[in-house]
Amino acid sequence: MEGLVKLSFYCFTAAAIALASSAVCYVAYAIGRVRLRQAVMQTSAGTTFSTSSAEFGPGAVGIGRYGTLLAWFGVVFSGLSVGLRSIVAGRLPLSNMYEYSLTFIFVLTAIYLAFERFYGVKQLGAIVLPITVGMAIYVWSLPAWMRDVDDLIPALQYNLMMTAHVSSAILAYACFAVAFAAAVLYLIASKRRIAWLPSPAMLDDIGFRAVTVGFPLMAMVLILGSVWAYRAWGTYWQWDPKETSALFMWLVYGVYLHTRGLRGWRGTRSAWVLIFGFAATVFTYYGNYFFGGLHAYGGV
Amino acid sequence: MAQLSARPRVAQRSPLEIGVDRVWRFFCSVRAAVYEIVLLALLVLIGTLGNSSVPDGIADVLPFTAPLVREWYAWDVFHSLPFAAILTLLAVAITVCTINRAPAIWRAIANPTVPTSHGFLRGADPSARMVSTATPAAFGDDLIGVLKARRYRVLTERRGDEIHVYADKNRYAKLGTFPFHLALILILVGGIVGARFGFREQEVIVPEGSTRAIGNGTGLSIHVERFRDTYAESGVAQEYSSDIVLYNEDGEEVRRGTTTVNHPLTHDGVVIYQASFNQAVVLQITDAAGRVLFDEGLDLGIYQSKTNPDAPAGRLDLPMAGLQLNVIAPDNNRVNAPELDDLQLRPGEMYVKAIPTDPTKAVTAGIVRQGEAVDLGGLSVRFVRETQFSLLQVARNPGIPIFLLAAVLLVGGLAVTFYFPHRRVRGIVSPAPSGAVAALAPLAKRDWSGQRDFHRLLEEVANRLGIQPEVHASDESGFDRDGARPDGDQPMQPGRIRPAATASRARTR
Repeated sequence: MEGLVKLSFYCFTAAAIALASSAVCYVAYAIGRVRLRQAVMQTSAGTTFSTSSAEFGPGAVGIGRYGTLLAWFGVVFSGLSVGLRSIVAGRLPLSNMYEYSLTFIFVLTAIYLAFERFYGVKQLGAIVLPITVGMAIYVWSLPAWMRDVDDLIPALQYNLMMTAHVSSAILAYACFAVAFAAAVLYLIASKRRIAWLPSPAMLDDIGFRAVTVGFPLMAMVLILGSVWAYRAWGTYWQWDPKETSALFMWLVYGVYLHTRGLRGWRGTRSAWVLIFGFAATVFTYYGNYFFGGLHAYGGV
Repeated sequence: MAQLSARPRVAQRSPLEIGVDRVWRFFCSVRAAVYEIVLLALLVLIGTLGNSSVPDGIADVLPFTAPLVREWYAWDVFHSLPFAAILTLLAVAITVCTINRAPAIWRAIANPTVPTSHGFLRGADPSARMVSTATPAAFGDDLIGVLKARRYRVLTERRGDEIHVYADKNRYAKLGTFPFHLALILILVGGIVGARFGFREQEVIVPEGSTRAIGNGTGLSIHVERFRDTYAESGVAQEYSSDIVLYNEDGEEVRRGTTTVNHPLTHDGVVIYQASFNQAVVLQITDAAGRVLFDEGLDLGIYQSKTNPDAPAGRLDLPMAGLQLNVIAPDNNRVNAPELDDLQLRPGEMYVKAIPTDPTKAVTAGIVRQGEAVDLGGLSVRFVRETQFSLLQVARNPGIPIFLLAAVLLVGGLAVTFYFPHRRVRGIVSPAPSGAVAALAPLAKRDWSGQRDFHRLLEEVANRLGIQPEVHASDESGFDRDGARPDGDQPMQPGRIRPAATASRARTR
């Protein structure tokens, strides 16, 4: 079993390398490339001179495709890493920040690729893939003992609830990361008219669609967490800081949906709400570092 | 020339009517609702940070904020008046706003306005125009057929020689907002019902072999027959459980079972949770006359020795003997601060101190070994054996069914609202020299997905009727830029239908 744990870590390492390479490709694709033009001219007097100019153009098609291919490698290897660890533990790896972040990398990349396929835009990868790389660096930085598969404390021994509650959270966070990427690209695309970026209208829609998936999932997180808390602790809401930070995050996205749907906010203002919402997501994700309370066992 | 002027008579409204109207409008205002949610989120954030180390960090960096940080930690935001007030305000706003919106939403579902105008269709972004050699009636029927094939409900109205068309799909999804908002109210109601009509005892300590009353009007007592704790090889607790028996007021057994973490035992709405456990000691205490004053387990570990925090302690009040007994167990972590272990108790020993309630009487103390007795304050204290106590939580929450109903409504409402968007299309079919001309437009201003759906509809028109629609879309709609992308991958927008012209409206970026 120890061998499988090591193999899982090697798969994660391979995934991290693939994701980092993919991020480079996506960024290069989104920035575009400089095309140098040189022209030789001749005057009526017969003198020849040459001029050169540089202009930005869309990124090479090939590099975008490599980005996608490498991202798929990242999904496969991180999926293998998660799968092998699941075999060893007899459950999904969701019990500490190492396992949680490992699964998050897999889910975020997979969800991003789903959005890429659905909307047919690769430029989002220039924001999302660097996030997965950041997460991989974070996983690397965690203490080595966290890579061991440990027995769960009794409170966490509720496989169905842990899988449903924590997986919903990971899926929701991943959707919010995609929405964040769409918002950042929106701000870029709306400030500077870059022909090869997706239209701001589409980016606005991607952000909205990602939230419409993430928001109900986050509601599920709160509900399933409450149901589990009722079974384990005798009350469905304890004002635990992790609970309240998740509620805060949900309210921020609630503001986004209300302002967008009922106040007609689109574009820049909505993009900023999404960016703030993602900040709240990060705050909740890493909350275990500075929260005490009932979720402290999920920390480092 | 005499000029007749008639001032419209405005019905005078009473100040009460004006006041009610203003309050109603305030609660219906989306802007106010957004401010309320923002305020609630802000309070939740303040409360969340108040339970974290963040304020301490702020005080470390900015020492002058230290008094404020102390206040911050001291403020129980979630049980404060402002928090309750904003929740109440939000609940009222949700209710009023929902009541206010309901008729309009129902009208849009049941009786939408069918006629439209050429001005609207010309100004719509995007819009489409298509020409047919068929008669207006036949062309109208063809278009209706395409719309119905795409699951649209189609309503038509004849105006002169024109046919006005209104088509929509997923209209009932507009009702999804009601279960969602009702769920938010129900969650609050569930919380109130639970707090008002339920109870929660967080620390019911029952040593193995002992019985404790639950109280809170249940008339039940819990007897812990056996407590078990099992550990993995790594030393991590795998499970702890209590075999318990519940007795009613008459001492009759009403329920027997096991409670473990995540699997509580329920009887008649009363739920018994396994929360924790710790060390206990069974003592038998008799007075000089030989009467047994105490013969069961005493929990240790809720208290610690004053001088040695690693030594679990227990306290037993014996008012009939005018005594309080303090019992201290051996240090359970001898490696940690051994200098504090002043009693130097060995396993199988207990330190017992008898403190008379009358301060003029002398305090007596002694060490007692397992199976032996010691005389203290006129009592014989026998250390029978070591055992464990089970820390249970007991709760009854009649709000739980309301909460569960709310959970289903909340997720269901959100799913219906988000995944079945209401799509609407308006159009006019008019006679033309060549036959008929139709203008169509979606009600999807700045709605990329709605516009994409409209585009697919036009593709269906092209496929089924063999008519190439002429699309008018501004750059803002994203139609032209997203249809064909430089990477050459399969575009999501159909490539055959291209915008005929770019609307004159300038891009405002």
